[in-house]
Amino acid sequence: MKIDIRHVSHTSDVEVLDDVNITFDKHTSIAIIGVSGSGKSTLIRMMAGLEKPTSGDIEVDGIDVQDPLYRKHVGFVFQNHNLFPHLTLKKNITLVLEKTRHLSSKIASDTADKYLNLLHLSDQKDKLPRNVSGGQAQRASIARALSINPEIIFLDEPTSSLDPILTDEVLNAVEELRELGKQFVFVTHVMSFVQDFADYVIFMDQGKIVEQGKPSILQKPKTEELKSFMDKVR
Amino acid sequence: MNKFTSYVLAILTVIAFMVFVVVRQTDDFSFASFYIYTDMILTGMGNTILMSLITLFGSLILGFIFYLLSISKFKYFNALIDVLTEIIYGTPLIVFMVVMTFLIGPAFNTYKRVLMGSLALTFYMTPYMKNVYKSAISSISDEQYMAMDLFGFTSYQKYRYIIIPQVVRILMPPMMNNFSMIIKGSALLYVLSYNELFFAIRVVQSKTFAFIEGYVLMWGLYLIITIPLSQVTKVIERKWAL
Repeated sequence: MKIDIRHVSHTSDVEVLDDVNITFDKHTSIAIIGVSGSGKSTLIRMMAGLEKPTSGDIEVDGIDVQDPLYRKHVGFVFQNHNLFPHLTLKKNITLVLEKTRHLSSKIASDTADKYLNLLHLSDQKDKLPRNVSGGQAQRASIARALSINPEIIFLDEPTSSLDPILTDEVLNAVEELRELGKQFVFVTHVMSFVQDFADYVIFMDQGKIVEQGKPSILQKPKTEELKSFMDKVR
Repeated sequence: MNKFTSYVLAILTVIAFMVFVVVRQTDDFSFASFYIYTDMILTGMGNTILMSLITLFGSLILGFIFYLLSISKFKYFNALIDVLTEIIYGTPLIVFMVVMTFLIGPAFNTYKRVLMGSLALTFYMTPYMKNVYKSAISSISDEQYMAMDLFGFTSYQKYRYIIIPQVVRILMPPMMNNFSMIIKGSALLYVLSYNELFFAIRVVQSKTFAFIEGYVLMWGLYLIITIPLSQVTKVIERKWAL
């Protein structure tokens, strides 16, 4: 997929974007890294059409991300699993499929089973989110994002609220999804995951893209900013 | 000592204390003289429950209106709700009832004491209900709304399948606590001569002169209503937690 980010600027209390301008073509797994407040979460939300930039625009395969049609084909995984807490893991998926994709309950149920199985959650599917671990809930949220058969999947620091063991559990599950052939865009602090999974990395600092390239740039940072960032996360 | 035994012992301690209290004052403790007044007492109990239910529904509706006004764009309404809340919080319920019935009511040519008393109880509970709505609604995170938008739920679907089911679950336990407060507060309607449980027992006491039995019965009957209610609340709280 081709992602065009054209002169995107944004001002808010939390994060700022300063004339971000970049095109991704052919890359299937894009990592966005940077310190907290560098603008990476804002950027990924804008790419998913969840937030509107103050100026500039973003297109994916020629469609503006604010177009409701585009949103129907987007999967988004939030920092905290963000499942609907009153519904079981499976119901979280079937509700979406039945009500917004208008699938029959049989097909919705089969689809939910398929993706829960893919994320190794078959035995947890009838539990409420509060009764499973954070890692399981996050995997269920990934299953929910996948179940609508999105063409592009955004993961916004999917492991930031998890301990190292659960982080591995979730990231390993994501790595297994590579074979689905989807487009991934993700924000993370886990550099080993970036090395293994990303085929392109952008490093942001103070609302700007400071460095970009293959994951190998992390070994040989050109800028002081990336160098000091890598020292901190190691 | 396990939990069950501890509770049994604790309850027995309270009963023993009550037996002591009673035995100190009478040696022929008997509810026999109350028998012919059973209907009267049951009517009082029924009235307590009925009035509490009416007050509950009234304060649920008014509480929601208060909530909407408290988040209104018009600052005047926010301020008005704040001021009313402060006043109600600062007023003892009995004072509020008397003021409504004998000060405010007559200004509107209303001398119906029971009506004004129940309105007082309803208004008194309204800020508490407003808070229940506030906490229930604010417990649905912005990110959940974002997810709903992303998946493309319609407004109706959002409320029907996601927002209201959660709000009801969160709202239920504090609402039931408030119901318990209403039941207890309704005893004060006695000062307005409303024939609720407290009043009914006082009347029976004056006819039978069985004061000790009357007080024990009165206390017990309130607890028969409120304790099961609070136990059910605890179960719901546990089962419905999100």
